[in-house]
Amino acid sequence: MAYSLNDYLWNKCRIEQAAFDVTSKCIGKISSDSDSPKLFLIPSSLKTGEIARILREGYDVARLNDGFQELIRQLRLDFLFIDTHPGVNEETLLSIAISDALILLVRPDQQDFQGTAVAVELARKLDVPELFVVVNKVPAGMDPTVLCMQVEALYSTEVLAVLPLSIEMARTGSGDIFCNRYPDHPLTHGLKSVVERLIDPMKSSI
Amino acid sequence: MSTGSQENELDQLLGRIKSATAPLREIIRDLHSRYAGNMDGKVADYIPELSKADPKYFGITIVTADGQIFEFGDSSQTFTIQSISKPFVYGLALEDHGLENVLKKVGVEPTGEAFNSIVLDEVSNRPFNPMINSGAIAVADLILGKDYPERLNRVLAMFRRYTGRDNIFIDNSVFMSERMTGHRNRAIGNLMLNFGMVGSNIENSLELYFQQCSVLVNCRDLAVMGATLANGGRNPLTSEQAIEQRYVKYLLSVMLSCGMYDYAGEWAYRVGIPSKSGVSGGIVGVVPGQFGIGVYSPLLDAKGNSVRGIEVFRELSETYGLHVFEVGFGGTTLQSQTSLRGKSKPRH
Repeated sequence: MAYSLNDYLWNKCRIEQAAFDVTSKCIGKISSDSDSPKLFLIPSSLKTGEIARILREGYDVARLNDGFQELIRQLRLDFLFIDTHPGVNEETLLSIAISDALILLVRPDQQDFQGTAVAVELARKLDVPELFVVVNKVPAGMDPTVLCMQVEALYSTEVLAVLPLSIEMARTGSGDIFCNRYPDHPLTHGLKSVVERLIDPMKSSI
Repeated sequence: MSTGSQENELDQLLGRIKSATAPLREIIRDLHSRYAGNMDGKVADYIPELSKADPKYFGITIVTADGQIFEFGDSSQTFTIQSISKPFVYGLALEDHGLENVLKKVGVEPTGEAFNSIVLDEVSNRPFNPMINSGAIAVADLILGKDYPERLNRVLAMFRRYTGRDNIFIDNSVFMSERMTGHRNRAIGNLMLNFGMVGSNIENSLELYFQQCSVLVNCRDLAVMGATLANGGRNPLTSEQAIEQRYVKYLLSVMLSCGMYDYAGEWAYRVGIPSKSGVSGGIVGVVPGQFGIGVYSPLLDAKGNSVRGIEVFRELSETYGLHVFEVGFGGTTLQSQTSLRGKSKPRH
């Protein structure tokens, strides 16, 4: 039976039962040795009834946090990435509160800048150890260096990357892993620099 | 909406998130998982309503003196407050009459006798302390009010201040059972009437005593009440003063010396946290200036204290240096576990 995050929140399964091993789909075939790197995905439910139920009833945010901690233990994760809604709600606040590093994605757009300012303020109140910004979907013609300096000055925080608006990403349409299909694309290089920046402090702490 | 109340809303929301993610929650969860399997003890059965409690019920709540709430398990399961009401009603009596006048009617000496013993101090004819039935009945007799309904309403209002909830009710079936089986308590009341420790209105005072014991609370309520005392009498959730600050130390003193029935001496020695237990299986503890702790587990030992509750308090006290006479503790403090970030500063 396939479980989702919703099922864990409703006490129908353990958190690790809702984790799908997507290693071979994303990275390719590697040996099944237990020490080999693995990639897992925990989806939220796509069933409208279940989405409606979670919206109507809410959920126990402490249980969600318990699940994250248990997942890290059970699957021996080096990294847990939590992809949240763009707005501010309980799960985004929880994700901010427990994160060792927070990356805020912002487009060069006035509304996005205002919304991100709120997220930065909340992140500071929640004492996130490392706070970064990635400027995304930057159209051609904008100077990335100038944009980077402006955003760093606006939020007083490090900009990890300025990622270009990409027609190839739009054409991929979530049908493939972009970095696998376009390994030499400027967008791929930008994403790799983000990863290297995240991994680097982890290496020094080992 | 004013900026001040907007800030308050934000602080409350962020406080809830911080509580959900703090290491203290994991500590409580771990305690719960290790002691939940302990099925030693027996559920109280002197009245049928108490015997209905599920022996598996087990809740732990810790509330900080600044209002953060950490809980796990059956912390919302309601039960009747029973003897845990005693120190709080005692506090109301102190406010009504002052320390010296209350001392004329109720002593503050521990006794090795059972909580329901029909024994008074041979010299003064006072009940020994307000934590045993005789003392609590004498205290109930001291609660002021122009008539019985007003006295009862004042007691309920007092519990509302301590818990921060308006919907405080009495379990009527428990009250009726207590009243129907309260022969020993009536005997104690009449003995004290004989010696002038209570007034002629003792029947009403006994009713009040049975009612106060039947107030419905949960484990979270106990921890909030404890945190209120830890915070100098001010409820950290509502900022309402539940009791005048100057009387808090007297409540904590009698809780430490007399609060755990005839286990009080060993409790003060081993655990060192001013506490009060109740026959429903609750225990409230106060770490002055820091925490209120509530545990609910209806399995009782031979002395009438919650078995799992004692284990939890012992471990918390030992591991985190909560003993009121702890000196030079060099271990991890519980206070440091109330925030995920501890004292580390963000690097941005």
